[in-house]
Amino acid sequence: MALVDLDFPEQLERFGVDTTLECFNCGTCAAICPLIHEHFPRKIIRYAQLGAKDRILQESDELWRCLHCGLCTYTCPREVNPGELILGLRRYVVANWRGTANV
Amino acid sequence: MVDTEKESEMQSERKVGVYVCRCGGNISDHVDVERVCEQTSKIPGVVVARQDMFMCSDPGQDLIIEDLKSGTIDRVVVASCSPDLHEMTFRNAISRAGFSPYVYEHANIREQVSWVHHGDKATDKAARLVAAASAKAKQLQPLDPIRVEAKRQAVVIGGGIAGMRAAKDLATRGIKVTLLEKSPFLGGRAAQLDRVAPTGELASDIVLELADAVLADPAITVHTCAQVTESEGYVGNFTLGFKRQPPESQEDRDRIKQMAESGKGIGEVIPFVGVCPAQIPETSEEHTVEAGVVVLATGIKPYTPRHGEYGFGDFKEVITLPELIKIMGKKKDTTTFLELNGRTIRSVAMIHCVGSRQIPGIHEEDETGYMNEYCSRTCCTATLQAANIIRETYPGTRVFDFYRDIRTYGRGQEELYEQAAKNKVLFLRFEAAEAPVVTQNGRSNGHPLSILVQDTLTFGEEVEVPVDLVVLAVGTEPNNVSDLAGMMKLPVGADRFLQEVHPKLRPVELSVAGVLLAGTCQSPMDMGEACNGASSAAVKASSLLTRGYVELDPFVAEVNMDLCAGTGKCVEACLQEGALRMVEIEEDGKKVQRAEVNPALCTGCGACVAVCPENAINVKGWTLKQYEAMVDMIVSGEVAA
Repeated sequence: MALVDLDFPEQLERFGVDTTLECFNCGTCAAICPLIHEHFPRKIIRYAQLGAKDRILQESDELWRCLHCGLCTYTCPREVNPGELILGLRRYVVANWRGTANV
Repeated sequence: MVDTEKESEMQSERKVGVYVCRCGGNISDHVDVERVCEQTSKIPGVVVARQDMFMCSDPGQDLIIEDLKSGTIDRVVVASCSPDLHEMTFRNAISRAGFSPYVYEHANIREQVSWVHHGDKATDKAARLVAAASAKAKQLQPLDPIRVEAKRQAVVIGGGIAGMRAAKDLATRGIKVTLLEKSPFLGGRAAQLDRVAPTGELASDIVLELADAVLADPAITVHTCAQVTESEGYVGNFTLGFKRQPPESQEDRDRIKQMAESGKGIGEVIPFVGVCPAQIPETSEEHTVEAGVVVLATGIKPYTPRHGEYGFGDFKEVITLPELIKIMGKKKDTTTFLELNGRTIRSVAMIHCVGSRQIPGIHEEDETGYMNEYCSRTCCTATLQAANIIRETYPGTRVFDFYRDIRTYGRGQEELYEQAAKNKVLFLRFEAAEAPVVTQNGRSNGHPLSILVQDTLTFGEEVEVPVDLVVLAVGTEPNNVSDLAGMMKLPVGADRFLQEVHPKLRPVELSVAGVLLAGTCQSPMDMGEACNGASSAAVKASSLLTRGYVELDPFVAEVNMDLCAGTGKCVEACLQEGALRMVEIEEDGKKVQRAEVNPALCTGCGACVAVCPENAINVKGWTLKQYEAMVDMIVSGEVAA
């Protein structure tokens, strides 16, 4: 069970992502993604919306699968820029490893 | 009445034209159309029997028109689809040829023959039905439509946005209007709103604009605190009795109190109350009003959640959307957090579809056994509008939106959904069978309540949201109009909304002629749609009234005074109150009782025909003699194909 934490999408703004909550979970990004890997990137973006930090850290290796092809960003109907969101989440994860995520 | 000998002589001179439709193969694939024509042309009186690929097409109709104009025929039978579809098409064609549209008889050989029978049997049945129609056609009279005088007055029931719009539009067309409103205030449900989506205008401004226009119009008489008690009559000539009485309901008393507290008076708008146009009566008084048409604008009320539904009644932090709108509308502060009864609201949950889109087996019926299976349509937009107002006015307060589907239909409304996402509202989606659960919050994070949901956007994982306030986006239910529906014999749908004749082609008319629908008494709709409906109802009403008379089909009972013995059996059997009565007339110097028909009220059901021991009463266009001729033909061996 995930406990919602809306501080997290705000925290992500410091990692260069301010569109987290604009995503309406349509799944176009997951459909167009050439990785065809589970629900990537839709699922990890949903975790970011909920502020489910544990899940993001647990499944953080997912973030490094991304090829930066840009198809999700190109097709996103809400112009959320999912590719950039993945990069922001990577920066968060790296900072977390360094112990600087909350700085 | 034409005497029998002369009538049969005339019948022998009648020239019936029969037109059999192939319906592009729909009929002719199963019915041997040529054979039907051949058999039919043998029937005495039938002078032509033609067939066409599509009788309803222009060339098909022209066949009839040419034969009528050339004097070849003077009675018409078309054998085609159901009369429901094209009877009027062919009647109109006959009118265009300069004949009475009532010299027409229809035989249904598609739905009742080719779609359900095959082979020789189909052809045989078609031939018999056509023969029966031809036999009846020989006896048809060129009837005149019933003309009823129509009073150029209208009654509008309900003084909400739709009722006021309809009243004003009728008055603009020169029709005198009486507007009856149950409560002491004009404005209805619209007056209970704050800023309306998608424009953000104040509902009170809109209500005042319309109320001012209505109250300033000398053609409109407004009666508040008025309840319809009686209704009689028919299109063109309704008489309604109504009672003006001191308000009794708690809601009315609360609103009167709010009016007193506001310091505002007659004709001024009070937000969340409405416009009080006149003194509130202290004693009960009864009135009657006459009208050619009645427009119903009886409106809706918000759904009241059951005790315990999403914690409603159990937790004081659970309120409805109309309550939230009212609370926020009255606050004029801009603080970081929304404050409610001294409590700081840091997070709000909004739950959609409460009392809407209910599913048998999942949701419970109300105490009367009803269930709201329909979508209330306006609550998604209203919820998102409220969410945006919270986020934009109280930026510290977070909003969580629990939905089944977002249905922000209509111009400028999807944008509110997008705006809510930009305003950082978090959406969570649940299935009807797995509704969110509102509980006391067990964690020590300062939020009194917690919501647990199987969030389908997170692939069914359980998500917990701690909140300070839960807002239920309640649906709408029609106001109870069972007394009106009983009095005026109005059709009510399974969803308890009033039911139009046809949802697409005749959307504001009821099956009761002269009674029209305006606004949400018909279905949930927003203010723009309600005004649309009201304006359409006003146009329909004025097109009924401006000619000064209304024409009705002549298929009503007719008494043969030579035969009537005054038994009164027909009056006893009559199902339509007022359609038949006994009158005293003088016959050979003696006063006798005879039956008399009110053609405007008679529905032509024939209950009187069946009970008359003297065969003195008949329904015009469907007389017993005509039926006998049809039956004779059906059983006759000669017409078999």
